[in-house]
This record gives sequence, structure tokens and C-alpha cells, in this order.
Amino acid sequence: MNWPPGSGRLAALGAAAALLWCGVFPRLLQCPALARHIELMDRREVNPAAMYYTELEHLPLRPPWLERRVRLWPAAVAAMASPSGRE
Amino acid sequence: MSNRAASGFSLHEDTSASLIGLAILALALAVTWQARPATDGESRERYPKGWPTPLAATIDRPQPWSDSPLQALRDKKDNSIAAPILLGMAWVVAVGAAGAALGGGEVLRFLPGAAMLAALTGAAWFLAAQKLVHHYNLEYPLWALAIGLTIGNTVGAPRWLMPALNGEFLIKTGLVIFGAEVLVSRLLELGLPGLMTSWLVTPVVLVTTYWAGVHLLRIPSRSLCMVVSADMSVCGVSAAIATAAACRAKKEELSLAIGLSLFFTVIMMVAMPPFIAWVGMDPIVGGAWLGGTIDATGAVVAAGEALGKEAGQVAATVKMIQNSMIGLIAFAVAVYWTGWVDRDGAAARGSLGAEVWRRFPKFILGFLLASLLCSWLFSSGPAQALWVDGAITGFTSRLRAWLFCAGFVCMGLQTNFRELAPALVSGRPLVLYVAGQFLNLVLTLAMASLTFGWLFRKAVDS
Repeated sequence: MNWPPGSGRLAALGAAAALLWCGVFPRLLQCPALARHIELMDRREVNPAAMYYTELEHLPLRPPWLERRVRLWPAAVAAMASPSGRE
Repeated sequence: MSNRAASGFSLHEDTSASLIGLAILALALAVTWQARPATDGESRERYPKGWPTPLAATIDRPQPWSDSPLQALRDKKDNSIAAPILLGMAWVVAVGAAGAALGGGEVLRFLPGAAMLAALTGAAWFLAAQKLVHHYNLEYPLWALAIGLTIGNTVGAPRWLMPALNGEFLIKTGLVIFGAEVLVSRLLELGLPGLMTSWLVTPVVLVTTYWAGVHLLRIPSRSLCMVVSADMSVCGVSAAIATAAACRAKKEELSLAIGLSLFFTVIMMVAMPPFIAWVGMDPIVGGAWLGGTIDATGAVVAAGEALGKEAGQVAATVKMIQNSMIGLIAFAVAVYWTGWVDRDGAAARGSLGAEVWRRFPKFILGFLLASLLCSWLFSSGPAQALWVDGAITGFTSRLRAWLFCAGFVCMGLQTNFRELAPALVSGRPLVLYVAGQFLNLVLTLAMASLTFGWLFRKAVDS
């Protein structure tokens, strides 16, 4: 059977990828620093590969503690927004 | 599209992408509404990611795996997800076939190539799901491009695969569906401090970086400058895809911009949290700084959580506000491009409005329509918000990701390494990215400190 030109290079690259993904990367995962980082992320249910906020495990809505520490809408803006003209 | 005249009926690619994207969105909303919960339908506590949708069973992606790729076929509860992954591939084939039919192509000629494209897309997902790769934010576009580039630059794409290689259509359809996720209502989540951090700095960095690329670094391709500036200043790969489509950037330019973004995202995700801890920065300011500067959303959350729960929450919310800018930026870039950059001499004598309309990428209108419709629905009430969230998180965002992934495989298969070489050798896109990111870091830190750290800080006020 005649293989198309470049088949050897494709097979070599495929073998290299298989070695990396199934051999090297799993070993690296056992490195203590990496294992600790991944364990922390898994425990907090973080999806580090999310491209957009909708892919996160938890939708990032305003945390309840934030308003105790930051004035999200200053008085003047809040007064403009309220129907009576006052906050 | 290829074979446009085969059946006598054909729609423009942008129109097909808009129609199919909006039809998919309508299907998702209708099915989710049909299966709405009988009780507690307004409870965010009960349904944190929106109402469950039956369509979620029709599509999924391989889950993170560590030792064997077979682990990717089981979800966190150890249920098999092989069927939804196979159905994800079927969705890619179905959307591509619908596009081929509307574009006047021969669907039967398209199917063998589409099946192979879907299989390669699935392979890219498996590579991206390896736990080390997954946790260091080397996202699926990188592996989709790598698979395509490897095959395309070794044995080349076989002839029977060619009719299915319509990456632009898949990405445009994905973008129209993506419009549903760009909810304008989410902008106000962090009030004025959040708006100032995300909305003042981002456009300044985007415009300055683009200008510097064109006039100071004299990069010949304006579209490359725009895509690099957008992915660096807004939100990485998703912004790069949207602006590349809006300014009709070449696929090689989008590939380069994504590569740069992912490379620096990993560096910033690893380096910024220890730096913030080392200088003793307030977690709210630190979180806002992370959210405004690191490109990819997942990397922002990972870096924020590495710093602490509070920083992680603020970082994710600032990033979400920045995410919501994509629609406006894509629209503005499309108008600027058609009206000023791409305007040809003959048309320049006509009316600007007519010229913009003639050359405007029409699928952007589908994207905006999806965004405005879902934003309106989302802000109509708590039940509607859960309805939209359920349809998006359970179905449309998954399908959008599959379509983008398939689009990147196509781009890789059609990209010649040699066409990337001039930009890589000159090094100027790299300089542009680094300089722009430096400006982004400085301005975002200044604004986060001003708003979250001082101006709107209750402790300071009282």
C-alpha cells in the first residue's frame, strides 16, 4: 500500500503526542506542587479552562460580603435612580 | 461557501449562520421553557445555574482526565457521558450540513468529511481535557489548531474532507449562538467600581495598543493589530474570535493572536497571585486587577482562587463584566472596518452609511439580536433569568464550544506554517502584545486601587 507523503512525520508526531499525554503529563501531575494546586482548584470547583463566564462551575454573581466593604453605587447615583429622588 | 450553485438555492454565509444560530437559540429556549420546574422556578438557590434543560443530555465534552483518556468519558458522579459526547459530534455534523444545504452545497458530498471533522474535534477535546493541560488553561482552540496544522502540514487534508472545511461558517454560527451569553444586564453586577475598572480601562488599552501596532510598530496588517489588541485587552480567545470575524482577519492572524494570548495567560495566571500576596495587596483590589488583566476567564478564576475566596469572587465578577463588552466591541470594530479601514476608492465617493451597510458582516447583527433578546429576557424577572441561564449553561454554550472547536480544526487544516512565518520572525506582534499588556496592567491596577481601594471604599468613607 502506498502511504501519502508525510505519513511518517504524522505518525511520529502522533506517537510523540501519545507519549506526552499518556506518559509525561500524568507523571508531572504527581509532582507535589502541581498536585496541591490541582487539588485546591478541584476542591473549590474551579474550571480553569473556561473560555467565558458561562462555562464556570459557579456563575460569578456579586458576592454577598462585597457590599459591606465597597459602596457599589455612590449616594448621588443611587438618588438619581430612585423614583423619589432620594436613596 | 463551496458548491453554491449546486441546487440553485443559496443564501449568503452570514445569513445562513444567523438563521441557524437564532433557530438553535429559539429551540434551546423553547425546550427549556417546556421543561420548566413546577415549583421554586424563581429560586437562584435551588437552581444556581438556571433551570435544568433536557437538551443538556444531547451534548457534553470530555471531562478532565489524568492517567487514561477513558476517564474523560465519565462525569463527576461517575456516570457515562459517551453518548452526549458522540451527540456533540453529531451536532457539529448537523449544523455544518444545514449550512451546506442553505448555502446551496451538496449535503451528501459533505457528510464523509463532516464526520471526520467531528472526530478530529472530539480528539482536540480529549487533548484539552488532560488534567495538567486543563489546569494550566491551555484551552481547546490551541489543540484544535494543533491537530489541524499537524495534519495539514504533513499529509495534507484529503480531497473528500475539503467540502466540510467551512471553519468560517462554523465560527460565525457559534458566534451568533454566543450572543445569548453576552448579557448586557450582567454589566451592573459590581456597580460603578466594576464599570469603571472594566469599561474605562479596556477601551483605552484596546485603542492605544491598536494605534501603537499600526503607527509605532508599523505592523503591515491592521487586522492582526486589532485581533491582538482585542484578545489582550478584553477577554482572550472569545474576544479574538469575535473581532477577527468583525474585521475579517486572516485565519493565520487569529491563530497567532490565540497562541500569544494562551502563552501569556499561563504566565500571568502563575505569576500574579504570588506577586499580589508578596506586596500585601488588598484581596478586593488584587481580585479586580486579576479580573481586568488576565485574558482567559478560567485562568482569572484560578488565579483569584489561588489568592483566596474573596479575591476569586471579585476577579470572576470583574471578568464577567469585561466579557459583556464583546458585543459592543465586535459591533464597533465591524463599523470602523467597513466604514474606514476597508473602504475602497470607488465606494468612498458614495454615502458612508450605505457603504458600511453593504460591507458590514451581517452575522454580527444575528449576534447582537441574540444578545439583546436574551438580555431583555434575563432582566424581565427572576424566573426569566433562570430560564435564560438554564438554556445557556445547559446547551447553547456547549454547542457554541463544539462549533468553535470544529472551526479551529478547519482553520488549522487550511493554514500553511509558511504563512505564519513572517509575523513570527519579525517578532512585532509579540512586542505589541507585551507592550499592550504592560499598559493594561498599569492602568487596571491604578483604576482598581482608585475605585475598589479608595473612592468607593466604605471603610475609608466612614
